[in-house]
Amino acid sequence: MGKDRKKAWAATRKYLAKPEFSTLLILVAMLALAAFLQRNFFEAKSLNRTLNAFTPLILLAMGQAVVIISGGLDLSAGTALSLLTCVLTSVMRTANPVSGVYAIVAAFAVAIVIGVVNGIGMGYLRIPSVIATFATSFMWLGAALFLRPTPGGQSVPWFKLFYDVKAYAGAPPALKAFGSMVPSALILVLIGCLFWFVLSRTRTGRYIYAVGSNHTSAYESGINTARIQLRACVINSVFIFLAALFFVGQNQSGDARMGDPLTLRAIAAAVVGGVALSGGRGSVFFALIGALILSLVNKIIFFADIPYAYQTLVSGVIVIIAIASSQAYTLYSRKSMNRRGRLA
Amino acid sequence: MNGTSVALAGFRGAADKQKKLIIAFFLIVFLFVFGQLTVSNFLSFGQVLLTIKLASFIALFGLCQMVVMAGGGDGLDLSVGYTATLTAVLTASIMNGQNANLWIAILVALAIGLLVGAANGFLAAYVKLPPLIVTMSMSLIVQGGINVYTAGANITGKPSPVLQTIAAKSTGIVPNIVFVLLIVAPVVTVVLSRTRWGLALFGTGTNARAAFLGGVPVKRVRFASFVISGLLASLIGLLLLGNMGIAFKDMGSNYVMPSIAAAVVGGVSMSGGEGNYFGVILGAIFLQTLTNLLVAIGWGDAGKWLGFGIVLFTLLIVYVSDRRVR
Repeated sequence: MGKDRKKAWAATRKYLAKPEFSTLLILVAMLALAAFLQRNFFEAKSLNRTLNAFTPLILLAMGQAVVIISGGLDLSAGTALSLLTCVLTSVMRTANPVSGVYAIVAAFAVAIVIGVVNGIGMGYLRIPSVIATFATSFMWLGAALFLRPTPGGQSVPWFKLFYDVKAYAGAPPALKAFGSMVPSALILVLIGCLFWFVLSRTRTGRYIYAVGSNHTSAYESGINTARIQLRACVINSVFIFLAALFFVGQNQSGDARMGDPLTLRAIAAAVVGGVALSGGRGSVFFALIGALILSLVNKIIFFADIPYAYQTLVSGVIVIIAIASSQAYTLYSRKSMNRRGRLA
Repeated sequence: MNGTSVALAGFRGAADKQKKLIIAFFLIVFLFVFGQLTVSNFLSFGQVLLTIKLASFIALFGLCQMVVMAGGGDGLDLSVGYTATLTAVLTASIMNGQNANLWIAILVALAIGLLVGAANGFLAAYVKLPPLIVTMSMSLIVQGGINVYTAGANITGKPSPVLQTIAAKSTGIVPNIVFVLLIVAPVVTVVLSRTRWGLALFGTGTNARAAFLGGVPVKRVRFASFVISGLLASLIGLLLLGNMGIAFKDMGSNYVMPSIAAAVVGGVSMSGGEGNYFGVILGAIFLQTLTNLLVAIGWGDAGKWLGFGIVLFTLLIVYVSDRRVR
């Protein structure tokens, strides 16, 4: 009996020692604070609105996490998102519903090209990913400005389905009933989750971790590291593509500059979610939680009546606190585990 | 015979070391010649000096990046832009156009730089958080500080005449800021290659573990590199204020990413332990010449950024990509 309890306690400790646990703790604290400040936080309508505001960051953070785990970093994600919104709104014609399909195909093709170029840069040519994607970010920005010098463009009405099913008047009643229960944003995020869930069970998924945690030994054990890095970049592009669908559905327009501020926020979100920038460690699903935490910070600042001028300051401080506490937590629990191990 | 081959090997080694510098130099020459052929009146003495003047701030911020990158550990400093801006915003009203107040302004600048740099250095070197995230958050915090200040008070004041003379005026046809670079570059080179601290910094960047075993206080060296970056950024803020004549909210943020690119183009290794400040200056001039050329060709914003991205990417393929390992 005593032995069993000891075993259970050891298992619990092992779980508590994971950095993911501290991330979850922060999320719960944030949710509690948000719910305390905004009384109707947990009502369906308010939750839906919250989710809509969070979705682009969530998708970008998940994609970013894949690249970071593979040992890279994508500074071009934000401008890539802008470019995809510009592609979508340039191909679509409001009067022609079929043009939406063409636009999706075209944007998906562009997304793959973006991923391949980034992947060739950091994988095959071995340019440090920070500087490689910094260079490509200008290409995407230039291309986006070429298509759409000022925000605007056309969108087919049914694209609203990607944002809110109820907003599209032509949707069949059954779909509308379904849409009022399950928001489109949730479906997009779930598609992203499912996509990575399936991938993480494949060889590519495991190789991404292997390449990120030790590039040389992965190469020496016969993994085509460059190809894996390229695949990670393409996977990231798919997440960016989903975010672009959502953005165009929401705004019915494209904007060459909308994505810029999201890049560093998405990286920060992945790190807050426990993804190590050194690669090989962390979980894509926890990048989602990191994005939730970062978005909740903004929400809390908004509802806590903090003057607007203080918002940037406070969000900067909170990012540092979140990362530092998760780092300190990991170090502390690892130390205490070691001490226990030595005593036992 | 033997002596000749040794001398030849030595020469080759030196040439190899300066390879990136030489490439950067010829690229700049190429850009000017190409510009002269496509756009009339691109290559002139005045144009070259103007380019160097515009590039000088990228080069100065590039010094911050070089010091931090040289220490290894994925060093980067994204907070330099807003540190400079904060200094400029605060000291503009202190100086109020008076030379007598320059001392106070410099002290304030040093205090700001020390504070930001020490915070960055503590979090990056001792708490061991990734510098990218630390300095990004720090730049948010400093930007937030500027927002708080400007919400309570208007940005007023002017730089002192001395600063304006240094940063904006020219002696004859040579902009004075060029002399600043001419003084800073040799000093930096001597400090980094001849002093104990400089060697410790490059040693840390090359192999932190070996440096540690060799008695180098690795954490303290990296901490110091961030403090130096902060102090320099803050002082550059004074020059930036002198150049612009007034302070405004986003005056420094556009230099941050170009300064990193200039450092990399100039041969500073992002993994640490390598770097030459003359290379960084050439890198900055290259980027500025490229921007000027793309503007002069007149393809507009889209063409400018597209061209910038493609040329930078191509350049990186040519000499940053590290294919020597296997």
